[in-house]
Formats: sequence, structure tokens, C-alpha cells
Amino acid sequence: MRLRSALNRAVIIGILGAAFLSMHRFGLLDPGELRPAAGRLAEFVTALFPPNAGVISTLSGAMLETLEIAFLGTLLGFIVALPLSILATRTLFGGGVYVPARLALGAIRTVPSLLWAVVFVVGFGLGPASGALAVAMYSVGYISKLLYETFEGVDEEVLQSVRSVGANRLQLIVYAILPESANSVVSQLLFMFEYNIRASSIMGFVGAGGIGYYMLGYLQLLDYESLMTALLITFVVVMAVDYLSARVRSLLLPTQQPVRRAPLLAGIVAQP
Amino acid sequence: MTLDRGQVAMVLGRSGSGKTTLLKIIQGVLQPHSGSIAVDPGAAGGSHRAAVAWVPQTLGLVRGMSALDNTLVGALARTNSMLSLARVFPGRLVREAAETLALVGLFDKRQEPVARLSGGERQRVALARALMQKPALILADEFVSQLDPVTTDEILILMRQVAKTGVSFLVTTHEIEAVARFSDRVLLVRDGEIAHDGHSGAMSTPRLMEMLA
Repeated sequence: MRLRSALNRAVIIGILGAAFLSMHRFGLLDPGELRPAAGRLAEFVTALFPPNAGVISTLSGAMLETLEIAFLGTLLGFIVALPLSILATRTLFGGGVYVPARLALGAIRTVPSLLWAVVFVVGFGLGPASGALAVAMYSVGYISKLLYETFEGVDEEVLQSVRSVGANRLQLIVYAILPESANSVVSQLLFMFEYNIRASSIMGFVGAGGIGYYMLGYLQLLDYESLMTALLITFVVVMAVDYLSARVRSLLLPTQQPVRRAPLLAGIVAQP
Repeated sequence: MTLDRGQVAMVLGRSGSGKTTLLKIIQGVLQPHSGSIAVDPGAAGGSHRAAVAWVPQTLGLVRGMSALDNTLVGALARTNSMLSLARVFPGRLVREAAETLALVGLFDKRQEPVARLSGGERQRVALARALMQKPALILADEFVSQLDPVTTDEILILMRQVAKTGVSFLVTTHEIEAVARFSDRVLLVRDGEIAHDGHSGAMSTPRLMEMLA
């Protein structure tokens, strides 16, 4: 017990020590560096006010485009991620399938969203199409990881019960994995959408559409008052989406999708 | 050991004695070191998997799906695989599932998600799902361990009614009181072996307690 608490103390001291070392290396403990930096920051913050109301209509259109990029990117990312994450689920497939699937997903995840944007700008040119595809690729990597970890968390006894009735692998996915994971999947998708709105905001920095294009322009022109308007609009939209997704969660969960009778037989079989 | 049609056998034993292992061997999930398992060749078209239904301790129900959908899962092997992937079942199976739920007393709650049902009601859904397999034998692990005494009695009475239709039950339990009242036969498992196999009416509760100790 004593050894354990000494070990805990050593770990905490180690973490704090490493943090101090990094701060020292970055000059964050040097008052000679900090004082002028704080002064410049204060100057910058002052320059952000008052926000420029004149650019609201321009920025609203750009923000709408950012929302479209995030929405389309999340949806496309999910559509691609779902089958890939099923292949990457250890409880469903052997190493010959899930290992290559995970390697592919890991490779996709390694590339940052801005780099994906650059790649698609090269292919599709400047504009929101490149942004949406970049967000989609980035989402594939992350959503699939969240999904296969959720799928692997499905209660083994539920899987065993469905297997024991003679269900094949696809039936196991439809009748155990997906319904048992539905709540988490909806939650993760909403989270990814919220995250992608923030990520899409900077897609414009590399010419991939949305409000980021204007943010970069205002920064380069030192038009900080308009930049503040862009930041405020982004903040309001992100807050609104946070609120809306909380409402959507409470409306959709818990999910229940009843089975349907075969259409051909619908007319001749009495409602049970 | 041989289990007759419609017979209810309860398996007693201390935790870790091998009760669940015995059930899993009979189910076919685990392979026995020696011996073999055979079900009535006339049952469920001779398929061992279809003839033996499994009700795990936690019931293994899909919480987000309704009682009816969970019951239909028991019929997956009897339906067109491609249609079932679209969650579409033939009308005759939907009707059969509804009738099975009526048999276990849950017809009115067939559209309720399992997550909203009580412990006893979930037990009934698990039984209905097992029955949809048209099994010769139902293996139930710690079947009534999570239930209050009144619900336990209700479920075990239901089990006896189902057994009268010719379905056999092999049930592991810690409910010694239930053995004499609801089973035909009692098996005592100790250290991975069947230490006793006999008619449950001949065993008093104190005697069973003594043998378990």
C-alpha cells in the first residue's frame, strides 16, 4: 500500500516535471518573453472589437457552406466507415480480415484533415467539394474506430444467443451487433458532426470552402473586427448544433426499429 | 444421462462446480473430453443446433428491439436469409411469434422494447424466443436467479406448462426450494462430475442442502 502511494506520487511528480521542462524549453517560464507576448495579445484582443456587423450576410452564407461540408462529410464518412468497421470487428472476423481492415483505417486516420483537404483540392480544385471529401476521409478513420470498439463491446451472451439459433454472420450483425450498438452509434455520429463543424471551419485555410476562407483572408488583411464576427458566428452555430444534437439524442434514443412483414404476404396475413 | 421428452431436470451445484459447462457441452459450444451428445433424430429435422435452445443467465435479449422482434430471432434459421437481413419476416412466422408471446402471457406487450419490460417479462421473452426454435430441449442457465419469489414461481409454472407440450428442460439453479416443486429430476454437479442423478420428489430440501455442502 505504502509502495503504491509512493509510486503514485512519483508518477505525478514525473508528469509535472515533464510539463515544467517543456514549458522551460518553449520559453513559457521566461518573464522576458512572457511580458511582451501578453502585451501583443492584449493589443490583438482589443483590435477584435467591435465586431464588424457589415460582413454578417457574407459570412452567414459561408457558414451555411461550412455546415453543408460538415453534414455531407459526416454522412459520407459514416457510409464508408460502417462496412469497414464491421470488417474490423474482432468478435465477427478472424485476424485475416480484421487486421488488414484496421491497418487501412489506421492509415486513413494518420492523415490530418487539412492534409486531406490539400489532397482533394489538388484533385477537385478549390471549393466545398474538396472540403466535404476531406471531412469524409477524416471521419472514416475516426468513426470506424469508434464503431468497431462499440461493436466489440456488445454483450457476448447476446451474440451467443443469436448465434445459437443458427443465425449466420450477416444475421448476427443485423439482429445483435447493430441494434445493441444503435444508441452509441447515434451518439457518436452526432459527436462527429459537432466536431466536423469545427474542423470544417478551417478547411477554407487551404481553399476547401466555408467560413475558414474568409477567416484566413481577414487575418491576412489584418481586418480583426471582421475576423471577430466570423468567430462569433462560428461560436453561435456550434452552440446551436450542440443544443440541437442533445435534443435529437433524446428524441431518437432508445431506438427501436420493428421488423416488417414481407410485402407480398402483407395483404393475406392478419395483424398479429 | 438420458433426458426424456417433456422432462424437467434441474442441475444443482456450488459456484464453479461445472453446471454451466455441462449445459454448454450439451449445447455444442464446448466439446466434451469423452462421450457424445445426441438429440432425438426426429426433432427439429435432426439438426442439433435447432433442437437445443439456449437461454443464458443474462437472457441475451436485444434491449432496443421489441418483444416480438426478439421472439422472431428464434426463427432466423427457418426464414429466407436475404429477406431477414432487411428485417422482413414471412407473415406466418410473425403470427407464430405473436402466438408464442400469447402462450407466455406477453401478447399485449409484443411491441414494447425489451428495455422497458420487467425482469419476469424479459424471462418470458427469452422463453418465447427459445420456443420459436421449435426445440426438443431448452437449456437454461440460472433461469430464475434474478427474480423475486413470486415471479420465480410464475416462470417455473410456465416452464412446467411448456414441458407438457413435449419440450424438455435442463435448468441450472441455486433455488433448492424450487427443485422438489417444479422438476422431475435433480442432478448434483460437484467438481465437474455428476455426483447424483435422481428423482427430485425423493429428495428433501435439507437432504439437498446437505449434499451440496
